[in-house]
Amino acid sequence: MARAGGITNAVNVGIAVQADWENREFISNISLNVRRLFEFLLQFEATTKSKLACLNEKLDVLERRLEVLEVQVSTASANPSVFT
Amino acid sequence: MAIPVEEAIAALSTFTLEDEQPDVQGLAALLSIERCATTSPTEYADVSAYRLSLMEDTKAINQLNTLIQEGKEMASVLYTYRSCVKALPQLPDSMKHNQADLYLETYQVLDLEMSRLREIQRWQASAASKLAADMQRFSRPERLINGPTVTHFWSMLKLLDILVQLDHLKNAKASIPNDFSWYKRTFTQVSMQWQDTDTMREELDDLQIFLSTRWAILLNLHAEMFRANTVEDILQVLIVFCVESLELDFALLFPERHMLLRVLPVLVVLATSSEKDADSLYRRVKINRLISIFKVIILKSTEASDAEWSREVKGNMYDMVIEGFQLLSRWTGRLWEQCAWKFSRPCKDPVASDSLGGSTTFFDYEKVVRWNYTSDERKAVLELVSYIKSVGSMMQRCDTLVADALWETIHVEVQDFVQDKLDTMLRTSFRKKKDLSRILSDMRTLSADWMANTSRHDTELHALRQEGEEPRPNIFYPRPVAPTAAQVHCLQFLICELVAGGNLRKHGGLFGNSGSGIAVDDLKQLETFFYKLSFFLHILDYTATVGTLTDLGFLWFREFYLESSRVIQFPIECSLPWMLVDNVIESQDPGLLESILMPFDIYNDAAQNALTMLKQRFLYDEIEAEVDLCFDQLLYKLNEIIFSYYKSRAASDLLDQSFIASCNDDNKYFVKPMRFNEILKLRRVKLLGRSIDLRSLLTQRLNKLIRENIDFLFDRFEGQDLCAVVELQQHLEILKHSHNLLSKDLELDSFSLMLNEMQENLSLISYSSRLASQIWTEMQNDFFPNFILCNTTQRFIRSIKGDRHASQRASVPSAKSYFFCGSQDLNAAYHNLAAMYSEFFGIPHMFAVVQLIGLRSLPWIIRAILDHIAVKVNVIIPKIYGLQDALPKSIGLLPFDGGVAGSQKIIHELLTWGTKSELKAEVLQSLKEVGSALYWMSLLDLVLREIDTTQFMQTAPWLGLFMGTDGQLKEVDSGNRPLVSLFRLANTEIVSHATCQNPNSFNIMLKQAEAADLIYKKNIISASVLEYALAFTSAALDKHYSKLSANPKTGFIDITTSKDFYRIFSGLQFEYLEETVLESSRRHDSWGDSVAWAGCTIIYLLGQQLHFELFDFSYQFLNIAEVENAAIAHTLSFDRSKNSNFLQGYEILLEAMRKARRLNNHVFSMLRARCPLEDKVACAIKHSGAPQHRITFVNTLSAFETLPQKEA
Repeated sequence: MARAGGITNAVNVGIAVQADWENREFISNISLNVRRLFEFLLQFEATTKSKLACLNEKLDVLERRLEVLEVQVSTASANPSVFT
Repeated sequence: MAIPVEEAIAALSTFTLEDEQPDVQGLAALLSIERCATTSPTEYADVSAYRLSLMEDTKAINQLNTLIQEGKEMASVLYTYRSCVKALPQLPDSMKHNQADLYLETYQVLDLEMSRLREIQRWQASAASKLAADMQRFSRPERLINGPTVTHFWSMLKLLDILVQLDHLKNAKASIPNDFSWYKRTFTQVSMQWQDTDTMREELDDLQIFLSTRWAILLNLHAEMFRANTVEDILQVLIVFCVESLELDFALLFPERHMLLRVLPVLVVLATSSEKDADSLYRRVKINRLISIFKVIILKSTEASDAEWSREVKGNMYDMVIEGFQLLSRWTGRLWEQCAWKFSRPCKDPVASDSLGGSTTFFDYEKVVRWNYTSDERKAVLELVSYIKSVGSMMQRCDTLVADALWETIHVEVQDFVQDKLDTMLRTSFRKKKDLSRILSDMRTLSADWMANTSRHDTELHALRQEGEEPRPNIFYPRPVAPTAAQVHCLQFLICELVAGGNLRKHGGLFGNSGSGIAVDDLKQLETFFYKLSFFLHILDYTATVGTLTDLGFLWFREFYLESSRVIQFPIECSLPWMLVDNVIESQDPGLLESILMPFDIYNDAAQNALTMLKQRFLYDEIEAEVDLCFDQLLYKLNEIIFSYYKSRAASDLLDQSFIASCNDDNKYFVKPMRFNEILKLRRVKLLGRSIDLRSLLTQRLNKLIRENIDFLFDRFEGQDLCAVVELQQHLEILKHSHNLLSKDLELDSFSLMLNEMQENLSLISYSSRLASQIWTEMQNDFFPNFILCNTTQRFIRSIKGDRHASQRASVPSAKSYFFCGSQDLNAAYHNLAAMYSEFFGIPHMFAVVQLIGLRSLPWIIRAILDHIAVKVNVIIPKIYGLQDALPKSIGLLPFDGGVAGSQKIIHELLTWGTKSELKAEVLQSLKEVGSALYWMSLLDLVLREIDTTQFMQTAPWLGLFMGTDGQLKEVDSGNRPLVSLFRLANTEIVSHATCQNPNSFNIMLKQAEAADLIYKKNIISASVLEYALAFTSAALDKHYSKLSANPKTGFIDITTSKDFYRIFSGLQFEYLEETVLESSRRHDSWGDSVAWAGCTIIYLLGQQLHFELFDFSYQFLNIAEVENAAIAHTLSFDRSKNSNFLQGYEILLEAMRKARRLNNHVFSMLRARCPLEDKVACAIKHSGAPQHRITFVNTLSAFETLPQKEA
């Protein structure tokens, strides 16, 4: 069999692997939570945006209504004699 | 105090992050922190830590991966190459002396492009030699080094794939040799001044050979490989690997499968370069196996079934994710294959040219895309795109949710294998095989996580050796950590070593059981684990995998066809994404509607690809321009279909149900429901990284559209006569109802506001409006002069002679169907309904008028009509004087002895105004107009009363009014009125409540309720518009009283006077009755019943009713006829046969007179009822339009100043 070789220092490698598992558990825990934070921020941005849009829409309607009222008032104030 | 990370993160999830936005779009942005787990982020630097002597192999893998990366960039350069020559300017003759400058500039431009091509040429040469060297190194039978690993196989195949792609791209680009020859020409021109250009020239020649030779790259690779004849082994291994992977569906992702399919033929060609090699290959892999792989069945129309999908999503989370990936991969793969199939089979004869206005030439691209998809196929493609995008975005959204569960599952799988299964194997079948068991323990060493398995931690070393121990299942605590790419890589390598023993020439497949001496069961387990390992990486690479699988940008790219069609870009109609959007709009399929934004994800993907993969700014610009255009189009069309849908729904709602029920084909008036509300909720549509508030854009446009619609309806009304007011009202009702329906989903401007705006009725001090003034103009110019009254039917109809104004009208504007009712059938139905009202003016029209102009402008129009009456009265008076002058001074009673004929003669003698027929006609016309106006008022009165009554019935219960037993209105005692007491109770309850912050506002509310109670109660006794009009007319007549009514000097009734008005009217009436008889009722039509209305009203108001009834010529005539009839009947009572014929010739005249008398009596009785002469009372109408209850007022014109002036 032409195998060039297996693990040369099995015990050391085993210990290193074990340590590696533990380190990686820590890393993945951190990275996952960082990702969750990011996700939260993204969602937060999205929902805030649509809530703001909702508010904006209502303001728009009010603004237009106010414009109409302003025009009405201006017609009235331009002819004060009618109301005396 | 520090808060644990998990708790802090978990706290975030308690925020409510819900919005109304539905998920009708794919994900626009992917957030990924892994740098693709499938390729090791550390370039397998950690492999060496496992001491597996894989150094050489790892180095080779990394080298190949770098080459792959470079190759991809080269490929994108080639793919996006666009001809420069086409853009080069031609010099006009006048500038020929500058030719040299142009050459230099051109050379510099082209040199840049050519240097890129040169780079590709160099790169492919080095890549080919490196790949060949790599293959040779790892295919030596003696095996001095470990490898090649499975990862290595993949890298080799990928590099080969890149080279194949490059070659294809090079062949496809005809513009490259073109550009090159131009470049060469400019080079010869430019280089004349340069020295030492030989090397450059050589380089150029090399490049030319490279560019002009087809398959230059593959030929070069072939040559490189067979320089030393040692690569057949590895080629065969690769072929077997490809075939097995394809057969077992080993590749999870479709790009890998497609890559294998692309590479396999090339590998076979390379491996069978000599006959000997071919034989040996086909001994290992039967040719039929190869053939069957390429029998890919492509669906003509990709139909994904929901049942299949729902069945497939069962199972646990891990399985679900795997299945999700498989599903996505299959779907996207199918789209690719469908696309390829379509590209290879262009449409034979594109749609008949009539739709394109005679242009008969088509781009190839149009043939393969635009005309190549039937409507069904477009639908299927769109559905598939939505499946892919929505499943993808769902999977992506739960990424962080499932991540640790996935890691745990994978951890468990790996640990279960290495700790349990391998343990069992070590203790049983591999006991005697030292070499093999060493591999097994290596596998355990490099991946086992013993510490997570606390229960067996201390005994695990024993367990390895103590064979007699009971094999008990391991209990280990799974760790949410996945193995690294290097670990997977090493495990796969070791499994290969185990089963193949490093023998590349091994016959059969990788896990074909021959010669390795491993038990079948173990082999099976190893095989399963081996394949699972390759799946793990993709699952760990969650985000990237989802990204790859849902990337549909390829549906847009069309460089190949741009090259062959010699155009800069195709119109958007040729673009598949837009075709899909357009299909939704055209088909109006309710099922597809919510996918309408999905095709824009294709653009998003395409733009992403252009920027990050192809790295070409100009492509992105082109996509952006197309998206801008498409989105505008979409908005416009979407708006139209939304508006027409709501219009037709409103129209169908408002259509009379009994009418629909009696209709044969009532289905056509039923509007198929469509769900627009989800689309109307979209506040952020992701488009090329921008977030667009679709909802606000739609709201804006719909607001505008409704205004346009109102404007259009008014324009249309202005083009028609007054009878069209019913039609106008119908259409405004429909519009209002559709506005109502739309307002449930959108924040539109209020309808009354828009209506007022379009009516130009915003000013607080103006009572007129566009509609009111239009109605008035119509009445003045057309209605009063040209319409005649029929008292019996209570209708005005257009007189036969009076259509002189019709031709002057502006033509009725025509418009799209959504300005009416939305759909053809409904338009027709409403048109027919309106047509019923288009020929007359009656009660329905009056209702429409009242409703349309409202209480605000009604006083204005009443005032205008009253003024009109006054003007007309003033016009009549001098003419009447003229007629008075023509009458004899005194007119006595008609003598009875002359009989009918005699009295007719006498009347003719008396009426000596024969020469003044014009004056007569004018008086009659004016009388008719006054009469029409009065009758119009009575109609208005009728309608207002009905409306008032309805309103009263609605408010009465709230005001505490009820019907007593005697039918009279009763009122509850004042402290107990329902509206007030309701508010009072609520008020005391709220104020007494402790939490009430501000009781003041509730007190105000109570006060307001009391005020409302009072106001509404006062309105109950409403006044009559007709009475008001009569009083007004009376006042207008008053100043002419002396001229029209001679006071008897004696104090007794003066029976001979001819100055009184009733004499004139009597004469006029007699004459036109006679004319009626003469001209067979045609003349009668031209005046109608309104003359009688005006005449009788004036007579009544002048106090001449009794005179008229006594001395009217017609009445006297009738009396004479009666007496004569009776006398004759008496004398000739024996001769019955003569009796009937006696008054022949007068029958028609007498009948007309009787009719006139009936009509006059009707008018008089109405007048007596509505305008008792004894006390002149009337009502006033206040500024607000609310009628004031009955007031007595001095009968002068100044009393009418309460009405708004017409000019105001």
